[in-house]
Amino acid sequence: MSFREKTAWVTLLAIVIVSLMYWFHVPNMLHPHPGAWVLHAMAASIAAYIVIEVVAWIVLRVKYPQDARTPRDERERLIDLKAIRVAYYVFIVGAIGGMFVTLHVVGAHVVGLGMVIYIAFVLSQIVKHAARIVYFRRGG
Amino acid sequence: MAPTLVTNSIRQLRFAHGEMTQQELGERVGVTRQTINAIEAGKYSPSLEVAFRMAEVFGVRVDEVFHYGKPR
Repeated sequence: MSFREKTAWVTLLAIVIVSLMYWFHVPNMLHPHPGAWVLHAMAASIAAYIVIEVVAWIVLRVKYPQDARTPRDERERLIDLKAIRVAYYVFIVGAIGGMFVTLHVVGAHVVGLGMVIYIAFVLSQIVKHAARIVYFRRGG
Repeated sequence: MAPTLVTNSIRQLRFAHGEMTQQELGERVGVTRQTINAIEAGKYSPSLEVAFRMAEVFGVRVDEVFHYGKPR
């Protein structure tokens, strides 16, 4: 397994762990008048993600110093671009579809819209790193 | 994605050059071992630049490394 694939696994796991923590709060967030703590939950999950990611990166860099110093080659750059393209569609469809549902079906206010965009972004990142892993496994 | 018709003789050339490893070839060409593996297995078609660098490492022409059509 290449170093870039390892980092894709680490990032994917970090996002999934943090997302699961965040999703435990979602039923409360769907309340018509979510308080400021909704934003606190978002901020806390972002902070938790950064901590997990930084610690994991340090561990990987210490364990594989040679691989960590090697710049991405053309195949790895192509894989990243293909994964970003997939994630872009997920984000656009998720954000626009989610905003439509939030405004016309649920009737939530600006915090609800922010939450929908945040969830669409997180989903797109999960898809991006999952796509990277799939492309790495397939060879390109 | 449609399977590529580009085939290669990298494996034979590596063994003809002192059983060069994929890691060693990757270092000399400037790509990772996994990328050499993907190229050799026909899962990834490299850029022209990488193809020429490979040919240079083996001291042969590009068309002796990569072929279009049936495997040799």
